[in-house]
Amino acid sequence: MVSLEDLKKEAKQILKENKVKYIIGYKKSTNGLMPVPAFIKEPEEVEKLVWDPTCVFNLTRYLVDEKRRKTKEKEPDERPVGLVVKGCDSRAINILLQEKFINREDVYLLGVSCENTGVLDEKKLTKKIKGEKVKKVEFDEKDNFIITTQEGKTKIPAKEILANRCLECKANFPVIYDVLLGEKAKRSIDNPFESIEKIESLSTEERWTFWKKQLDKCIRCYACRSVCPMCYCDECVADTISFAVTADTTAEEKAQKIKWVEKSPVSSENFIYHMVRAIHLAGRCIDCGECERACPLDIPLRFLNRKLEKEAKELFGFEAGFDPDQPSLISCFKDEDPEDFIR
Amino acid sequence: MQKVLTKKSLPQWVKKLLSYTIYTPVEEDDHWNFVATDNPEDINLDYPLTTLSPKKIIFPQREIFLEFCDSTEGNPEVKEVLPAEKSAVIFGVRPCDAKALTFTDKVFGGDFKDIYYWKRRNQTTLVGISCNTPPYTNCFCVSVNGSPYSKEGLDILLTDLGDKYFVETYTKKGEKLLNLAKGLFKSPTAKDKKDLEKIRIDSKKKIKRQIKNIKKIPPKLKEMFDSPFWDEESMSCLRCGICTYLCPTCHCFDINDEITSSSPIKGKRIRTWDTCQFPDFTMHSSGHNPRPDKASRLRQRILHKFLYFVDRYQNYQCTGCGRCISLCPVGIDLLEVLDKVRDYGS
Repeated sequence: MVSLEDLKKEAKQILKENKVKYIIGYKKSTNGLMPVPAFIKEPEEVEKLVWDPTCVFNLTRYLVDEKRRKTKEKEPDERPVGLVVKGCDSRAINILLQEKFINREDVYLLGVSCENTGVLDEKKLTKKIKGEKVKKVEFDEKDNFIITTQEGKTKIPAKEILANRCLECKANFPVIYDVLLGEKAKRSIDNPFESIEKIESLSTEERWTFWKKQLDKCIRCYACRSVCPMCYCDECVADTISFAVTADTTAEEKAQKIKWVEKSPVSSENFIYHMVRAIHLAGRCIDCGECERACPLDIPLRFLNRKLEKEAKELFGFEAGFDPDQPSLISCFKDEDPEDFIR
Repeated sequence: MQKVLTKKSLPQWVKKLLSYTIYTPVEEDDHWNFVATDNPEDINLDYPLTTLSPKKIIFPQREIFLEFCDSTEGNPEVKEVLPAEKSAVIFGVRPCDAKALTFTDKVFGGDFKDIYYWKRRNQTTLVGISCNTPPYTNCFCVSVNGSPYSKEGLDILLTDLGDKYFVETYTKKGEKLLNLAKGLFKSPTAKDKKDLEKIRIDSKKKIKRQIKNIKKIPPKLKEMFDSPFWDEESMSCLRCGICTYLCPTCHCFDINDEITSSSPIKGKRIRTWDTCQFPDFTMHSSGHNPRPDKASRLRQRILHKFLYFVDRYQNYQCTGCGRCISLCPVGIDLLEVLDKVRDYGS
């Protein structure tokens, strides 16, 4: 079991030794059950840190901000950022390393294992406890969560309230870390792609109807893009204006910026945006599920990413996020790669 | 006008209104949304809070202003597009969401009257539902001069009295809807009025979240423009558009020409929602951006709502619906930020 005290001790130590410039972890929220990101600079603040199955966020996204901030500083602080990472988050780190977006010495990783369970889905939990106020959520060693409400403690089978991504997680412990808290508990999953089978079995027309209904809901708030650690492009194809404007850019160049995706939230534009994002995440998505969690309109975005993950696995034997030295899926080929789908 | 309507009679009333487009809250996937229906049985007034407020009906995210086609070089055809002539009734509007429309009324009804907005606003009748219990964990309408049974912006307000609704009309538009089904509405008894009073007193007490001393916030914000506070508070912000797009009072928009054919040039001039939280919001064509980072963008959101709008319209541009808090993917809590602002430096 991960001990919160051990996590705090470790965090305090690295801050005291000036090993890191700050630590990104989780702290209690002021307005709900789910903790919020904590940016801890002083050893005394370490007491704020929490760790339990409600710590859903993938904090690696903040490395994108950190990098942007650093490039603007004249004399940047070169010390690493301390980061609390779960299994999925650690795989995101591997991708960022593989793509040379960050260097290994930029981060000090406090790995926490989800052990036999994972993090929970707030909506599933809320439905289950029907409006009772949750005080505490704990892991249980026997595949259950212990939920404490004002009514007392209840045991809920993990499967019923786990986040969808955790139900299909292959490695619910960090694969890269500087310190590891908790066990590397291996667990077996019969079918890691179970969730998408239902959609795969639909006919083309049925799939079209399904996705049209889902993507027509999109209001293009871009929360899915904003929360994704892999969506770090300075300028996104979905933006209607160019961010790469300098004093030397001519009026003509500015005027000729191609609008690949219009701002109108209509089927065609929503489809292009989500398809582009899905394709750009092929071989890079580590299934932290944050896009789906952040979506205020409950668009099942994981289905798109999981489908491409499955294609990568089946066609090229590729799995993202396990090895920072592995070449990326779209930048390498092998002689034995299949090509029968090329027309 | 004060009346009562039995719950059983609600669909019968709606049946008389089918010449209007009828909207009702509907549960879709895991959230609620206003959806048009022609089945009176669909009306559901026992619901939490819709993810998008009725703003999306009065001020839709996408509005076509005009269509153009240049087939005869230099003499383009331009066709104005106006909202369809169709009256609508929105059932189940929460008082906070209706009050928000009184703010957008001010913005779109100043020196320049926005015809697109007003066309929809004038042909829509809003039937509200009092919040006897807070529909959302982060409700705080009372702190921003609102109430769970506020009539501001509404034509009719219904209050659930168990087996019937207490019905109050505030406008001619509202009375018209009642007159279309006269026989269904009865005069309230003394007991009905007493029950209503009790429910109202209780409903205010049930709202747990609040901002203390809100009056101290605008003058404080005036001094905090250059404060490092905004850097600290925006650390966790992801710069997505949830807080503003889902806000019932946010009204910023962008206008673009969307080209559908290049030869001949054909296209549409379209207004879409925009948000101060996006990096391109105030980007100049020179490449300079006066709000270059998320700190300045968070500051803009807070200052617009609790300083600029107050200066201009003598109201906080917030009705306490709590959407921006509950749906922020990283849990940024407006009330916590405002508490810190109030106490900043003291």
